[in-house]
Amino acid sequence: MNATAWTATVALIRDTFREAFARRVFWGFFGAATVILLFLWFISRIDVVQGANASALLMGRNQPSPDVELMVRQTQSFIAMILYYAGMGLAVFASAGLVSAMFEPGRIELLLSKPVSRTHLLLGRYAGNLLVVATNIIYLVGGSWIIFGLKTGVWGAGFLLSSLCTIFVFSVLLSVIVLVGVVWDSAAIAIMVTFALMIAAPILAQEQTIVRLLSSEFSRDVVRVLHFCLPRTSEISDIVKQLIMGQPVRSWEPMWTTGAFGAAVLWLGIREFRRRSY
Amino acid sequence: MAEFAIETDGLTKVFPGGLRAVDEVSIRVQSGSTFGLLGANGAGKTTFVKMLLSCCEPTSGDAKIFGNNARRPESRRSVGYLPENHRFPTYMTGWDMLDFYGALSGMDGSARKRRIPEVLELVGLDERAHHLRLGKYSKGMLQRVGLAQALMHSPSLLVLDEPSDGVDPVGRKQIRDVLQELERKGVTVFLNSHLLAEVEVFCRDVAIIQKGKLALTGNVQDLTRGSGYRVEVSEVPEALRTEVRGLASGETEGTGTIQWMFGSREAANGAVDRLRAGGCEIESLSRTRSTLEEVFIRTVQPTKSEAGQ
Repeated sequence: MNATAWTATVALIRDTFREAFARRVFWGFFGAATVILLFLWFISRIDVVQGANASALLMGRNQPSPDVELMVRQTQSFIAMILYYAGMGLAVFASAGLVSAMFEPGRIELLLSKPVSRTHLLLGRYAGNLLVVATNIIYLVGGSWIIFGLKTGVWGAGFLLSSLCTIFVFSVLLSVIVLVGVVWDSAAIAIMVTFALMIAAPILAQEQTIVRLLSSEFSRDVVRVLHFCLPRTSEISDIVKQLIMGQPVRSWEPMWTTGAFGAAVLWLGIREFRRRSY
Repeated sequence: MAEFAIETDGLTKVFPGGLRAVDEVSIRVQSGSTFGLLGANGAGKTTFVKMLLSCCEPTSGDAKIFGNNARRPESRRSVGYLPENHRFPTYMTGWDMLDFYGALSGMDGSARKRRIPEVLELVGLDERAHHLRLGKYSKGMLQRVGLAQALMHSPSLLVLDEPSDGVDPVGRKQIRDVLQELERKGVTVFLNSHLLAEVEVFCRDVAIIQKGKLALTGNVQDLTRGSGYRVEVSEVPEALRTEVRGLASGETEGTGTIQWMFGSREAANGAVDRLRAGGCEIESLSRTRSTLEEVFIRTVQPTKSEAGQ
């Protein structure tokens, strides 16, 4: 990327942050994450928890006891799941508005009149949006990881890795928001479609059970194809839990099929954006 | 620099449903000139401009900016654009907005920092406006900051869609002065406006679009030049007045003067000969001129046979 293209990319990302600040989206996430971190810090300082911690670390042991480690990992898993589902839902809500705002008549014409390709414009907005959400996820996960580490001595990397999975899943859902935003110019439709995919995921995760219940081979194939092609957010949440609990990940397949879905949808979004007249 | 700032060849846009918004429009705008695009509402002017700037994909035909294919982003590096119904991000200040669009135009940070106060001053926005959110700007201020945005990267071609829309007369004069200064510097100005008087004063060439088709194009001076003559006389005896009235196509009486309009040079000369022979003093003799508005109305108004259909 040359200097001019880099300048344009930075400008697009900064603009998305500026808009996220103005819409209170960023500060909403940041505030909620700060409240959770303060709550964790407060909990870790109350006498009962401090006492339990101290007794677990008695007798000069440098390593936390398995009980403490299990407790910490379970708490981290709980936070990760809140972030994964509730945080993701909020992020989808917020991002749908940020993406569709770009296509507003009177605004898009001015962007398109600049010497920047349409692909560059769309990816710049996509990257900005992703960074807004990623910054908050990293802040919450990183902050709570440090609090847990300082208080209990449990420094497992699984919790940090889980945040990357969450950001990855959001990047896939953001591609859907972008495609719907380009095609229909509507934040509401983008939210509905993305939520529909999130709701379909745990149902399709029961593919084997559903297939057993279906009598028609065609219906079984449809379920198999949908399960394979659509984002497997439910199964990725299992991967997140396995990472945090320090268990071996049973299968990475949901990650790469979901990634392929996201890439394909983003490509379709770019293709549609390049063809559209404003 | 290329001879033509804008060249279109058979540019056509057919919207889904079959509406031919722009139909085979071919125009050439010379580099360094001032060009006005005129047309009634819905004539296809804005669609034409959008195709030129790649906001809208042409169904057929080509457009070039300074000899480069208009579809290529690089061709727009030399273009400054102010859209008609612009919607600038209200969360930005005037400074932020110029910084953002300047960066998209390829300007580096230090160049933007240097240029922003210059252009804001150029369009007459005082220092308070620099750090005021655009949501608090009046319509006229938005138009000025929009113009500043278009000028930010010192473009060679300025495409302005209704630039003085919502601007008070003083502001309009200021904008016209800015544009005249740019014209002197060799910047090509392409003006899309329904204010015919503004176009007549400022533009050297015009094109009129009617129902998507190019109806007329030419030099403003040539188009408004009339074929008749006007003779002004102060005192005329009544008998001579009746005689001259018979040769004239029209007569108007002002304070102490009489003006006659003649459809041909021969008729005007004949009248002057008789008036001089009758001892009358000729106050003035000039060619009549049409206004651009008259030219426009003549072009876009349906002829009697068309109207009857």
